[in-house]
Amino acid sequence: MTTMTQTRGRRYSSPGVLGGMGRAFLLAAYSPRFLFALTVFLLILSFGFLGPIILGRHDALMTVGGLYDKPSSTAWLGTDNFGRDVFTQLMYGIRTSLIIGFIAGSIATTLGLLIGTTAGFVGGTVENVLMAITNVVITIPSIVILILLSIAISTRSIVVMGMIIGITSWPWTARAVRAQASSLRTREHVDIARLSGAGTLSLIFSEIVPFMLSYVVMAFVLQLSSGILQEAALSMLGLGPSGNVSLGIMLQWALLWESVRTGAWWAFLPPALLLTLIAFSLLLLQSSIDEIFNPRLRRS
Amino acid sequence: MTKFQRYLLNKLAWFLVAFATALVMNFLLIRLIPGNPVDAIIGQMAAGGTATGEALQKMYKAYMAEFGLDQPMWKQFLVYLSNLSRGYLGASFRQYPTPVLQLIQQALPWTIALQLPAILVGWTIGNSLGVLVAYKKGLLDKAVFPVSLFISTMPFYCLSIILVYLFAVNWRIFPASGGYSFAMAPGWNWAFIQSALKHYALPFLSLVLVFIGGQAVGMRAMSIYELDADYVRFSRSLGVADNYIVRYIFRNGMLPQVTGLALSIGGMVSGALITEIVFSYPGIGFLLFGAIRNQDYPVVQGITLIIMIAVLTANFLVEVAYGIIDPRIRAATAGER
Amino acid sequence: MKVNHVVAYYRAGPGPEVKAVDDVSLSIREGEVLGIAGESGCGKSTLAAVIALTAQPPLYIKGGSLELDGQRIDLTKPVKPTSDWHGKMVALLPQRALNSLNPTARVRDFVVHVMRSHDPTIKRDEAIAQARHRLEQLSLPPRALDSYPHQLSGGMRQRVVAVLSTILDPKVLIADEPTSALDVSSQKQLVILLKMLLDHGFITRIAFITHDIPMLSNVANRIAVMYAGKLVEIGDTTQIVESPQHPYTQALISSTLDPEPDVRRRRLEGIRGAPPDLRYPPPGCRFHPRCPYAQDICTREEPPIVGTEDYFAACWWVADKAKGRKGGLS
Ligand code: SF4
Repeated sequence: MTTMTQTRGRRYSSPGVLGGMGRAFLLAAYSPRFLFALTVFLLILSFGFLGPIILGRHDALMTVGGLYDKPSSTAWLGTDNFGRDVFTQLMYGIRTSLIIGFIAGSIATTLGLLIGTTAGFVGGTVENVLMAITNVVITIPSIVILILLSIAISTRSIVVMGMIIGITSWPWTARAVRAQASSLRTREHVDIARLSGAGTLSLIFSEIVPFMLSYVVMAFVLQLSSGILQEAALSMLGLGPSGNVSLGIMLQWALLWESVRTGAWWAFLPPALLLTLIAFSLLLLQSSIDEIFNPRLRRS
Repeated sequence: MTKFQRYLLNKLAWFLVAFATALVMNFLLIRLIPGNPVDAIIGQMAAGGTATGEALQKMYKAYMAEFGLDQPMWKQFLVYLSNLSRGYLGASFRQYPTPVLQLIQQALPWTIALQLPAILVGWTIGNSLGVLVAYKKGLLDKAVFPVSLFISTMPFYCLSIILVYLFAVNWRIFPASGGYSFAMAPGWNWAFIQSALKHYALPFLSLVLVFIGGQAVGMRAMSIYELDADYVRFSRSLGVADNYIVRYIFRNGMLPQVTGLALSIGGMVSGALITEIVFSYPGIGFLLFGAIRNQDYPVVQGITLIIMIAVLTANFLVEVAYGIIDPRIRAATAGER
Repeated sequence: MKVNHVVAYYRAGPGPEVKAVDDVSLSIREGEVLGIAGESGCGKSTLAAVIALTAQPPLYIKGGSLELDGQRIDLTKPVKPTSDWHGKMVALLPQRALNSLNPTARVRDFVVHVMRSHDPTIKRDEAIAQARHRLEQLSLPPRALDSYPHQLSGGMRQRVVAVLSTILDPKVLIADEPTSALDVSSQKQLVILLKMLLDHGFITRIAFITHDIPMLSNVANRIAVMYAGKLVEIGDTTQIVESPQHPYTQALISSTLDPEPDVRRRRLEGIRGAPPDLRYPPPGCRFHPRCPYAQDICTREEPPIVGTEDYFAACWWVADKAKGRKGGLS
């Protein structure tokens, strides 16, 4: 154990951070799970963002056929309840879902990071107050707040949706980050920086945040995934982004127009599978990053 | 006062604070709707011709009076509190004057009957599977882990949709929607129970599967962590038999899973709400879905309140249970939280 | 007890293995406390894990065997978990006793599990009664059995762990830095307890692994010094402490026995350089980059063993001195 602490101490001493990250990248290249998850996610991403451009599909809401036309050479995945091309919608749906997820994830991670590091690093009353708030917010189911907020805001653009989801889902990150930050606070290199006269803010950014980078990346990945799923849930309740196609909205339409019961699998199966695939690839990504940074979890 | 009592008191205090916050949120957020929700909805209903002028007038007056919507915020809040204390959640806009509480009372048993067993069964099976997989390693781990991971990441409703399609539409083994056959009236007779059970199978399965997956993944990680713990190494060095060590790991890995349970209840409830929509299952989720589509705000507000209370209470109970099963907490102080 | 040619490497991630213990042999005699000393990272705790049969990935045993009372095992093969080697032949007194007890079981339950694992016929009450008796013999409070680990103080927990690890009367107790987390008075009490265990004949040998040489000079009969995965010197405690032979031992002793902590620190830095990266150990003598007496040959060839199996130093310089003395005599 003494051996391990020593090497860890060495890796965390300031000049070693980049070395540590480099090592992590090296390990990542050796982790097939990481590569697989990343590839899947990037494929989905480019399908949503490059697909419409490459294939020249510019309007997701254009009517091209009748109610639930079967897949054909023109409509590769058939048409939906309004006779619109499912394949095109799928690309735009992914795009919307991902953008909302990114916005929500960024906001949630930033808020969580800010609150968590402040609490963990400053300690004392500030910590108690911040954590009290976090613990209260964490127990109130976020879906309820989301529902109420979404009802209150009658026109919900993609950005607004992302923001609403983001501001309701930071407590997890805040709590986890606080634990990390307060353990980092007592590390030697932070003491040294403090003694050399660095202020609290600069300490947080130069000595705490870099060491939590892996952690923050993982938190963001999870928030991204949960943001996408929250959007889908809201959309299925009928509270999706107005005037847009998202994976959740596609599912809502499919359900409302009885595609499941009429056997029009092309209307509900693709969005359902894609949602699952996005969530799965992101979780896999997160857990493989976790394994890279926490060798304890690695299994021979 | 013993330390355990202090622990309980501490948890109770948290519960009350969270509860108060939830009440305020529930009150405030619905009032963020631009303008006066009653005006808005009644205007719409008038335009859609869904209700006669006279009925609308009556509704409007009743609502203004009940909730004091023309009064300042703080007065509204007091009215809201006093209504709540009488157990009055207002009346539905759409099915005026049916009280919201009555609608909820009809739907709630369905939801509880669906979710509670799913949670308990899923938790038990999932955790046992997780320890087993972590301890046995090898092939079992390689096969079970990715499958559980995949299932657990699958949103409840996606699995539901696929199950409906396969079992109800394609193979016609189970009915596709509803809580019971529409041809029947609810009652405690055998035919009805049989029909209800048939309708129960698919929604239950879709909740339980996802839940088993999630718990198994979590428990596996906890167990791997525990396997590495000093006490396992020490026990092994003394030649303690495997079945004892598995028992230690199960117990110690399970404890964090209990708190995990408390915190995931919120997420599960929301997932389950949407599962109900997929199955048109006559529970709270389905009611909520209809209320949102119809802008039936009193019903929405009533349901969100019920959900919050249910989740907070479940949280509290799990925390108490946790205090009882973990001797460290039972004896030590309230600890970190 | 004999430990023969132990080779144990860590394998973690890409890159070469960490050669934590490389061809170490030693013996522990009946009734003896053998101290194993060295700086952190020298491989002494790895050696402890190997001979206590608790090595786990990423630590892999490449070679070595153990001989005890006429029985012999190959360390590269896994030992059956419930075989009598665990707990009855060798037992471990671990480094972090604080976490070494299952936090959610009472001590007496653990006692029952340990005994039942080796003898399924033993009754629960019998097992507990035996443990109670053992605690009384060692003048420890028997009610410790009824507690959860967290209800015991740190020192008490470590003593209870010591009693538990010797409850099956093992032939050898491997004590891996058992005092490192304790305050001074608890350290003393633990040492007294270990001596009592020997005196009562519950155990017959102790391997006491620590970086704390002053402590070793009080408890050990002999001391083995490790550096960078190798055994560099072994000898009687008085010899090691008063006239160390190996250049590393000399530096270590002079740095640790000085009463002034400040001086101690400076002295330790006095050995220039740091212990080598064990993924790339230096060729020849592993101490040569830091050794004030290093010669050409030290960088090329493994140092010879000067002395007998139980009292030796592995060093070219010591070999030369010995030869010189012999030459002078003739
Ligand atoms: S063998 Fe050479 S380098 Fe090694 S300790 Fe002896 S003199 Fe120094």
